[in-house]
Amino acid sequence: MNHIKLLLFATLRDRAGTKSIELDIPSESTVQGLKDQISAEYPNLKASMASVLITINREYAFDEAVIPDNAELAMFPPVSGG
Amino acid sequence: MEFPTIFSITEDEIDINDLLAKITLSSTGAAAIFTGMVRGETARGAAHETEYLEYEAYIPMAEAKMKQVADEIREKWPVVEGIAVVQRIGKLYPRTPTVLIACTAAHRDTGVFDAARYGIDRLKEIVPVWKKEVSPNGEYWVEGDYFPNAGE
Repeated sequence: MNHIKLLLFATLRDRAGTKSIELDIPSESTVQGLKDQISAEYPNLKASMASVLITINREYAFDEAVIPDNAELAMFPPVSGG
Repeated sequence: MEFPTIFSITEDEIDINDLLAKITLSSTGAAAIFTGMVRGETARGAAHETEYLEYEAYIPMAEAKMKQVADEIREKWPVVEGIAVVQRIGKLYPRTPTVLIACTAAHRDTGVFDAARYGIDRLKEIVPVWKKEVSPNGEYWVEGDYFPNAGE
């Protein structure tokens, strides 16, 4: 198992009601696997999964990416800075 | 010679004079400065008034991506000298500067205007910062429309 911390921002944080979630994911889980697990365990976030951005160790990651052990993950909507 | 490159997320008021001074060398003859500010009355699209914007950032990644924006500017416009990319976060009221992109060069015909424009457009694509619109009618997080591709 891989114990990870997932940082949440903007609408994701508001919907989850927390700035971060700690969870156990299977070793070698992909980003898509994580999205599926979040949808199942956090029904409030399920609708967001279709358009969310996910980062692994501060780089954008895509569905097929395998999540390394002890990675820093974040999940957030498309950015609106500037 | 190492040209000055400034990139930061700050809660402090953006000091344009200070930043300009830091990226102006003795060889500099031109600076292109873009500043964005909180718009209090929006006429384009769904017209509305804004009481304030609240900005937040995934700070360590935002600073890394801002450095990436500066690196991309240097690659596309190698003659650019100094670069400053600054995003302010927190609760910001209308007419307040929120972001600054500044590029300096020896001369103005070197693409320095384009470099600054690229900088703000690129920041808005990949830097993890979000703004929440707060008005008398309620509040909502502004969602961007850019989905980064692999390697961005």
